[in-house]
Amino acid sequence: MSDAPRSPRPRGFFLSRVNAIAANTLLELVRQKVFYFMLLFAAIAMGVALLASGMPFIEQFQVLKDAALGAMSIFSWLLVTLATAMILPKDIEDRTLYTMLAKPVSRFEYLLGKLAGVMLLLLVAMGLMGLFFAGALFIREHLAIAEALRDYGDGPDGQAAVAAIRQAAFTPTLLAALALIFTKSAICAALTLLLSTFATSWIFTVMISVVVYIIGHVQPVAREYWLEQSGEAPSMLLRAFLGFVSLIFPDFQLYNIIDEIVVGNAVPLSMFVQAFGLGLGYVLVYTIVGYLFFSSREL
Amino acid sequence: MPFQRQRVVAVEDLSLTVEPGQVYGLLGPNGSGKSTTMKIVLGLVAPTSGTTEIFGCDSSHVSSREQVGFLPENPYFYKFLTGLETLEFFGKLCGLCGAALRARARELLALVRLEDAADRRIGGYSKGMLQRIGLAQALIQEPRLLVLDEPTAGVDPAGSREIRDLILAFKERGITVLLCSHLLEQVQEICDRVGILHRGKLIREGKLDDLISIENQTELILENASPPLLARIREAVAAGGARVVDERRPKQNLERFFLDVTRGKS
Repeated sequence: MSDAPRSPRPRGFFLSRVNAIAANTLLELVRQKVFYFMLLFAAIAMGVALLASGMPFIEQFQVLKDAALGAMSIFSWLLVTLATAMILPKDIEDRTLYTMLAKPVSRFEYLLGKLAGVMLLLLVAMGLMGLFFAGALFIREHLAIAEALRDYGDGPDGQAAVAAIRQAAFTPTLLAALALIFTKSAICAALTLLLSTFATSWIFTVMISVVVYIIGHVQPVAREYWLEQSGEAPSMLLRAFLGFVSLIFPDFQLYNIIDEIVVGNAVPLSMFVQAFGLGLGYVLVYTIVGYLFFSSREL
Repeated sequence: MPFQRQRVVAVEDLSLTVEPGQVYGLLGPNGSGKSTTMKIVLGLVAPTSGTTEIFGCDSSHVSSREQVGFLPENPYFYKFLTGLETLEFFGKLCGLCGAALRARARELLALVRLEDAADRRIGGYSKGMLQRIGLAQALIQEPRLLVLDEPTAGVDPAGSREIRDLILAFKERGITVLLCSHLLEQVQEICDRVGILHRGKLIREGKLDDLISIENQTELILENASPPLLARIREAVAAGGARVVDERRPKQNLERFFLDVTRGKS
């Protein structure tokens, strides 16, 4: 195409394009009714809330928090892994990717928009699960208070029990636990997107993502065993291998501080900072590496 | 190597220029390199060597696509979006927003006669409707170049004619069109210039009229000619040293006949 004035350089639509792709990704996933599985979570949370009687009050709340946060962690991981794994292959298969990239949209903007869409989905899902969790805690709290007043009466003993129950039910650190689950799932989303930039099928992406998830949980234990408990001095090769593994796979054991929150133990701020910082770092690195693969991929 | 993909030369030594305002038809059998050429023009595939420019801008730059609208072969859009939402989404990708975007989307829906289906989800669109919404999204940012890959593939004759008429309307508005199609009759109707690819090589290229006209023959179509008049013409032709190659009744083409018949019924 010749004999025409030179076209202008792209203007600063970067954010608006990323926003458009992110909003569209969220809308796509919402209209595919991915939130139906939230009903399962609600059923688990409410079920535990109603059935966790017959044990000491503190334990009732621990069981409820443990079950709800555990379910949240698994559900959010499943949601982001499955949703992210299908985004890119589906766009390529349906050729919607061609239509989008034929507009003034760079591959980086496309990838970032898709990731942002999944993060929004995760945020909404965490918000909904958080609400169900809060509802379950509220129900358990009221049931426990009713039990306490029935057992101890309205006197000082009863009031002391009620105060203890209220203290055990809602703790501000629960919000930090939700943020930790979000961060862990965000790492999984970025990792799955990275895998899908070079994978040829979403099944492969999901399988590798699951494997990395497992490695992320067991690698600190394995590393500790090899380095300290095997009884032999580790070779340079083994050290290099372990260093490599610990660098490319996130240490998901860091996020086990959620268990400490459940049992009510104090968690140092530095551990939160480390977990959130590591999460942010992995999301950034995985996204950049994903872009490097995607930018050279033939469509 | 078990994991190494075999490399294939899809297009070789291809050099062509499409002038502004032209409708250029890229023809060739399946696997001849038409779609690859279009992908290179759109920056979706990087050529091993060589360059492509769109209005003077390197087509590997994202900025070159501000001037381009693309309709892929058998377009699929997000099935969960309505027609209007689809146009608004693609408009946002081109930097449009607000009331201007909505007005532009409505204008294009009217242009491709999909106003009534504006709020229906794309998943329920017919093949012809998909092609038309595809054309509308390609036009959303008022591009100066339209790249159309099989724009009438799988569309019924009436829909196909509508799309052809739209392309002719674009041409009148000065929009440059690069299209590839297997429907040679349509290409002949709308293209100014064609290039024929075969096994990745451009084997013919030029103005359509120059390529297909037979230099030493003349077509004369008469109406109400009587047999004696025809006899005198034959004699005159022979006396002039020429030869009547063929003599037949012109036929209406099947598409025209089909459209006339189906329009009469509807």
